[in-house]
Amino acid sequence: MATSLEPTLSVRQVLSLERVLAGEPEVVAGAAQLDRPVRWVHVAEAADVGVMLSGGEMVLTTGVLLAGDPEAQAEYIRSLHRAEAAAVVLGLGRAFPAPPEVMRRAAERCGLPMVVLHRPFPFADLTEEVQSRLVRRKFAAVSLSEAVRTALTGLITAGAPLQQLLDEVAGHSGCPVVVTNLAHRVLATAGERSAVDDVLRDWERIARQAGGNEGDGWIRAELGGRGERWGRIVLCGYRGDAETGRLLADRAAEALVLHRMLGGAVHTWEEQSAQSLLTDLVSGIVPARQLLPRVRAAGLPVNYRTFVPMVVRGADTGRLDRVLRLLGLPGLVAELADSATAVLLSLARDQDAEALSAHFATRLRTEAGAERTVVAAADARTAWEDVPAGVREAQHVADAVADSSAALNLPAVVRLKDVHLRGLIRLLRDDPQVQSFAERELDGLLSRADPDLFSVLRTYLATGRNKSRTAQLHHVSRPALYRRLEAIQALLGVDLDDFEQAASVHIALLAHDAQRG
Amino acid sequence: MSRVIRAAVFQTAWTGDKESMIQVHEQAARDAAAQGAQVLCFQELFYGPYFCQVQDKAFYEYAEQIPDGPIVKRFQALAKELGIVLVLPMYEEEQPGVLYNTAAVIDADGSYLGKYRKTHIPQVEGFWEKFYFRPGNSGWPVFDTKAGRIGVYICYDRHFPEGWRALGLAGAEIVFNPSATSRGLSGYLWQLEQPAAAVANEYFVGAINRVGVEEYGTNDFYGTSYFVDPEAQFVGEVASDKETELVVRDLDLAKLREVRDRWQFYRDRAPGAYEPLTAP
Repeated sequence: MATSLEPTLSVRQVLSLERVLAGEPEVVAGAAQLDRPVRWVHVAEAADVGVMLSGGEMVLTTGVLLAGDPEAQAEYIRSLHRAEAAAVVLGLGRAFPAPPEVMRRAAERCGLPMVVLHRPFPFADLTEEVQSRLVRRKFAAVSLSEAVRTALTGLITAGAPLQQLLDEVAGHSGCPVVVTNLAHRVLATAGERSAVDDVLRDWERIARQAGGNEGDGWIRAELGGRGERWGRIVLCGYRGDAETGRLLADRAAEALVLHRMLGGAVHTWEEQSAQSLLTDLVSGIVPARQLLPRVRAAGLPVNYRTFVPMVVRGADTGRLDRVLRLLGLPGLVAELADSATAVLLSLARDQDAEALSAHFATRLRTEAGAERTVVAAADARTAWEDVPAGVREAQHVADAVADSSAALNLPAVVRLKDVHLRGLIRLLRDDPQVQSFAERELDGLLSRADPDLFSVLRTYLATGRNKSRTAQLHHVSRPALYRRLEAIQALLGVDLDDFEQAASVHIALLAHDAQRG
Repeated sequence: MSRVIRAAVFQTAWTGDKESMIQVHEQAARDAAAQGAQVLCFQELFYGPYFCQVQDKAFYEYAEQIPDGPIVKRFQALAKELGIVLVLPMYEEEQPGVLYNTAAVIDADGSYLGKYRKTHIPQVEGFWEKFYFRPGNSGWPVFDTKAGRIGVYICYDRHFPEGWRALGLAGAEIVFNPSATSRGLSGYLWQLEQPAAAVANEYFVGAINRVGVEEYGTNDFYGTSYFVDPEAQFVGEVASDKETELVVRDLDLAKLREVRDRWQFYRDRAPGAYEPLTAP
């Protein structure tokens, strides 16, 4: 339910008030202008009343100073028009028994509503009635503004995320609320889901309309501070009066600016937006197709594209975003659980998805401090509906190699076919028989709980029992390595030179690691 | 009948020295080519800082011969290797003391097609260009490249509609506008003038602006490079306002004909009535 103020009083509404009807009002000129808003009611008998007005007033007069002077009557009307008065109300009786024709004609010419009251009428009744309504309305606006501000400030001080602020705004506005950056990329939305989707479906066209027209209930407020603009908040199709909508948009914008400047969020709004999208996509709670409008509005091209789902370990979202920009590759980046990050590339159909994913991964891995970065990818998908499964596949691949990435001599982009046995074991990790097999095989080592021996064993097996490479990776001499391998063999009661025994321990270790991952 | 050209622009920050700046751009060309881009335009004075924030003749050293200088030669070889059209906005020395703000255009087979010399030279705080450049005298060349007919209009030129129109009359399909422009000064114009030029002249525009603050002044270069089509629609998103970014976009040149069939600006212009515009 949208919050709204009583609408501003118009001339027409004032004339239809019960206390005013008692004066038998008759509109004698300017009938087309009766919807003008009345800002105030002013009783004035001065001939030069125009100079006292500041616009929007309904002026009440008996015309006592104007009687018998047609020139003064016409000038009186013209001065009201120049002062942008809302209307003039003339009480008949004292000065004029009937509507004066000169005034009527002048009012008609300049489009000023002129009303005569046929019955004697205490002006004070009218001013009291109208002004108490106007004051009530002003008070309601101030109090709505305060209520919204207090609610939003409360959320900000409680450390609420952007989404919660927007939900609060949408609660007041009763229409979709959209936050965009300057590139018109949608960063966050709130409001009833299907209404939001309707808005996003056509976002490109709507967002690019320069200036925009507020007449259709689209109310925009700029977001910025310290001399810089970052984006805008848009109330999309607000159904209340424009003034209340403006008030809500302005309060919302103030709150968002404050929220961002206080810097409570670790992630930028762009990152949060991508994260909520990819999380929804991977979780499968929302069907992929339904997410398309949001994805498109978030700036990812989706028509006639090839999608490459990737999961990266050892690189934060900031770095991944930067490398994507550097290479000019459109993609969404979002943190998943367990320090893995999803990257969804969107490529043109004619582009070589495999080559470009390798190009991306190679660039990422050649940067300083990125030696441990692992880039896992699923095969490219051309159907959007297949993307969630692709992200899950990439995640599976990344998890499968997570423990031994250094020892495995992996390609720039790791795929399902590269994870071999460890991929299979990972899929079977919840099987109780596999679990008890792992316990049984590794029992001697598990009871010692020596992480160093575990790590040596893991590397030794991952390198295909390559002793010199294992020694090198663990920064130990070969004799020291031999001693550890002997200790391991003694604890496990196996001969690691025997292929079958070594394979069995390897499978058990993979299963053990998969359960922990 | 669509005719899609994959075009690219590249915005970046000053690295601190010329050689590493050249290497960053070489890598960008490789990255663009890896995506199948057919044409790439760099930012204004691409391998240097935007030295016009100060007036110091030491920066005359950045000027090179076009096409006989080493940088053009180096990028000719690269264009040929990658099969990509390159637009190189550079500091040009025609002879000692005769310097221009120029863009060289290299075709996808590495051949040098020609150059455009910036016509309108500003001289305001932070943009002391008259100290460094003679006004261009190249006219309004349009280059028939493997990726389409390409024009170049450099930075401050963009405020003058006449050159945009001249390039359109000469048949340009894509006009690149390499720039170096600062946040406070031109932010309100940046997404207005080039889209307006694209609409008025019914072609594509690629606008490029560098990023970052350099050691020679307080200009905050705000990137946000983009391509805009003849209906003033941005093709994809505009680039970051702070980060290095390669912008690769598919431009359907068939849109030129579509828009020109709808709006006959070239037919209906009235050159006979424009004499006052060319009066000195």
